[in-house]
Amino acid sequence: MTRAQRGGTKFTALKPAPVPALEPAGAQRSGRTIGVGRVNLLLGVGILLAIALNLLTGRHPIEFSDLLAALGGQRVPGVSFMLWEDRLPQAAVGILAGAAFGASGAIFQRLLRNPLASPDVIGVGYGASAAAVAGMLFFGAQGIGLSLLAFAGALVVALVIYVIADSGKHTGARLILAGIAVAALLQGIIQYLLTRTDVRNASDALRWLTGSLSASTWERAGLLGCALVILLPLLMPAASRLRILELGDDTAAGLGLRVRGTRLGLIILGVALTAVATAVTGPLAFVSFLAGPLALRLCQGRSHLGAAALTGALLVTAATYLAGNVLPETPLPVGVVTGALGAPFLIWVLVRTNKEGT
Amino acid sequence: MALLQAEDLTLAYDGPSIVDELSLEIPAGEVTIIVGANGCGKSTLLRGLARLLKPAGGKVLLDGEDIHTRGAREVAKMLGLLPQTPTAPDGITVRELIGRGRYPHQGWFKRWSAQDEDAVERAMTLTSTVELAERAVDELSGGQRQRVWIAMALAQETELLLLDEPTTYLDVAHQLEVLDVISELNRSRGTTVVIVLHDLNLAARYADHLVALKHGKIVAAGHPSTVVTEELVKSVFGMPCRVIPDPVAGTPLVLPIGRHRVLRAESVLAANGIHRTRQPDAAIGEDTTSLLTAEELTTREPQIDTITATDTATGATPQSVEPLPVAEDSSLRRAEEISAMLAFSTRVLATEDLSANFKRVTLSGADLSHFGAGAHPLDLRIKLMIPPASAASSTAEPESVLGSDFAALRPGALLNSEDAGGWYKRWLALPTESRGDMRTYTVRALRPAGHRDNLGEHPEIDIDFVLHLQKLDGQLTGGPATVWAATAEVGDAMLVLGPNKALCDETYGGIEFRPGTAKRILLAGDETAAPAICSILESLPAGITGHALIEVPDTGDILGSSTRSGVGVQWLPRGSHPHGEMLAAAVRSIVAIPAAGAVVTGADPEDVDVDEQILWETTTESTQPFYAWLAGEASMIKEMRRYLVRNAGIDRKQVAFMGYWRRGKSEL
Ligand SMILES: Cc1cc2nc3c(=O)[nH]c(=O)nc-3n(C[C@H](O)[C@H](O)[C@H](O)COP(=O)(O)OP(=O)(O)OC[C@H]3O[C@@H](n4cnc5c(N)ncnc54)[C@H](O)[C@@H]3O)c2cc1C
Repeated sequence: MTRAQRGGTKFTALKPAPVPALEPAGAQRSGRTIGVGRVNLLLGVGILLAIALNLLTGRHPIEFSDLLAALGGQRVPGVSFMLWEDRLPQAAVGILAGAAFGASGAIFQRLLRNPLASPDVIGVGYGASAAAVAGMLFFGAQGIGLSLLAFAGALVVALVIYVIADSGKHTGARLILAGIAVAALLQGIIQYLLTRTDVRNASDALRWLTGSLSASTWERAGLLGCALVILLPLLMPAASRLRILELGDDTAAGLGLRVRGTRLGLIILGVALTAVATAVTGPLAFVSFLAGPLALRLCQGRSHLGAAALTGALLVTAATYLAGNVLPETPLPVGVVTGALGAPFLIWVLVRTNKEGT
Repeated sequence: MALLQAEDLTLAYDGPSIVDELSLEIPAGEVTIIVGANGCGKSTLLRGLARLLKPAGGKVLLDGEDIHTRGAREVAKMLGLLPQTPTAPDGITVRELIGRGRYPHQGWFKRWSAQDEDAVERAMTLTSTVELAERAVDELSGGQRQRVWIAMALAQETELLLLDEPTTYLDVAHQLEVLDVISELNRSRGTTVVIVLHDLNLAARYADHLVALKHGKIVAAGHPSTVVTEELVKSVFGMPCRVIPDPVAGTPLVLPIGRHRVLRAESVLAANGIHRTRQPDAAIGEDTTSLLTAEELTTREPQIDTITATDTATGATPQSVEPLPVAEDSSLRRAEEISAMLAFSTRVLATEDLSANFKRVTLSGADLSHFGAGAHPLDLRIKLMIPPASAASSTAEPESVLGSDFAALRPGALLNSEDAGGWYKRWLALPTESRGDMRTYTVRALRPAGHRDNLGEHPEIDIDFVLHLQKLDGQLTGGPATVWAATAEVGDAMLVLGPNKALCDETYGGIEFRPGTAKRILLAGDETAAPAICSILESLPAGITGHALIEVPDTGDILGSSTRSGVGVQWLPRGSHPHGEMLAAAVRSIVAIPAAGAVVTGADPEDVDVDEQILWETTTESTQPFYAWLAGEASMIKEMRRYLVRNAGIDRKQVAFMGYWRRGKSEL
């Protein structure tokens, strides 16, 4: 038999014979999926609990019976309006934005193989903020227009950082430094924009900048929901590509992944998620940064974009509760709480990375 | 068509090209290993072959189609790649990592299937990673981890597998472990493998096809035994070295020559009787001559070639197309394993005065058990190293007088094949007073050990010397060989250069009698050819007819000869006739004009200047019914040739003409 023939027949010979059923190995695999699934379930339960807690024991608690009645569609005076026009849209926006931030952060962290590389730390969020602020102040932008502006700003920043950090090969200090520099520059720009506008407008923008759910409406929730209906399903293929990409560029290419295109696609997805959420809630500090690593812990070291999204949602809903109830007199913007949670974690990560000498 | 090939491939990152107009075919089903110094472009080439790098020029063909017109996933189903430093995500298990090799076979909607599971299982079995399956990759040893990565590439189930330095950072045992796994997979699955490797010795051992790269160009490609030479290593790695056969695998083994350990090593070798006569880093190919120049006589190929065992073993290598006297691959080996020519240390066992002009000397020695060239010696010629007149004693070991070159050529000595070809030049460069002379004679008889006519325990050879001597003032004068023979006594030493029985057969170049299919022959010569003619006659089978004409000085020199054939023998005592006159007359009377059975070509033999070169024109394979063999004094031979070719019209291909000696000239 010639070599060519051998090569030809061998290929088909290698194709495995059909196997009737899945063996223990397969069971093991699905066993692991159940593991992540259970984590996701718990996260979902946690989110519901946080919302319920907020409704029932929050600043203006609602009686459980009233809550059920109002949810059931009855008009409960003083409750129905607050529930339907304030609390529920706020919870919905919180969940959606949290999920978007969480997923976006995890995508960036895994893509750049660095826990510090979340969009809020490396300045992508500031890009969205700067563009949004400029839009609000100069054009009175709102709604979709604001989302698109935020998206454009975030994308520009992400690409700038990406180019500076050289295609993800040097994900260490260089990327972080580039991000911090860009963030500082953008903060300066935002400050400048605020000083140039009249005080009333500026204070609106400022509140937005701290990140808050207080201005949530069904309309905004719907807007965010529409965007996420498109974006969140993309997490599935994104996850399967990330799994290959994290083996190294050459290995990934050898496995048939178009590395550059995929990386760009993932960046755009991550930026889009951050941008749509930022446009609605303003930058919720450190949600992106915290969600990924927390989800990783919960899933016992297995990274999972879905879990990261749910963790983000839980973080935001829990922070909403805290923001409303931590100080007896004044409710805090959610962004202050997430920022307070994130800062120590950031310091811890920095110290640890420093020790590992990365 | 090769499954994978490069055509005029030029690869560059941003600056100057790293791989330069390179063409390469990866032989299917074989293990190809690419070697070269750091920065020679070997890894870049691999990336280019794997579609990771877009060519700046030329193209890579995968199954005949430009690899860049194919989709990434499609390519990944045919070609797997293991890059130099793949990164394993934190905490990933072996099974999970290997499973990622299935990526190209999964689609947007096609989920993990039983087929994927099977492929992973097979990959783990082949790489013996089954028992590691549930362990975390970061916990594994370097060798285990590399096997896991190979398993991942295997799970891809491709026909081609490309690996970039799969043994870096591994200790020796793990390097072998990894390469064994790869070659096992090549053998069991027929996977075509391309490896970039920096270790030349491992490459030589595991490659079917070795490609040496330098400055982005291929310097050599082929089987390791033909590619790995000292010259190549020097040029590709800039490292002087020796190349010897790997005692384990038989493949070429490169021994680098450092600066400081060499002298030491030299003395160790010397203590073991191994002598290297050349500077280690002297250029190869310097000594491309062997006995070719020793024999002014020859116009054909060298009569004693130094060929190497590897040349014969590998067959149709470019090097073996013509018998190159100098091996491409040089190595320390037993002389009888690699050199077709050996030096035999002998002693005179007996002498016999056959007549006034002939003296028979019988030589014997243990070395002669390696002497021979197939069946009957016919006109088998040998070289006698006549000791210099100044030699302290005629019984001293000849090789001690003549130097280490000949010691290394003795059977049992360790020889560097590179040195096997250069001895003649080196010998010639010595002053005559110390080196003595070399003369050509015929083996009149060869008797293996135990032959009933033997006088001793070892094999014996008879040489019949023509004594062309004059007594001047009571001093014997003549050629050195003649003087030696005339005064030879039992116990005298003689170094004989002749064919190595193990590597020579009846096609040996030191035999000229090649009648082919001829049934009618003519043998003609003077006394120096008498031993050869008598020896040929003894081996001729019945059914051959023709004539043997031998001109000798005197009636007393008519020696007995026997033959089973129908060839009639005629001795022509010269007496006072000029040398060759009687012989020429006899040849004319036998070969009429035009000669019967001759192919008339009408060709004019170009005029040969006897004073410029001794006539030597022989044939290899005559298909004609008539064959003539003529030997003796050169100008006599020239006359006979003129007659036979020009007047009788016999095709030169039917006649062997050999000037055995030349009046007024010494052999050298
Ligand atoms: C293939 C081959 C096989 C040979 N086989 C034999 C053999 O079996 N027996 C044998 O005796 N010879 C044989 N010869 C011839 C032998 O090699 C030469 O005769 C050689 O020159 C002798 O060497 P030398 O040292 O005696 O004389 P050199 O030093 O070579 O010559 C000294 C002088 O002697 C002259 N001379 C040389 N030979 C003769 C001679 N035969 N008669 C008269 N003058 C001569 C030379 O012309 C020169 O002037 C053979 C030659 C060849 C090529």
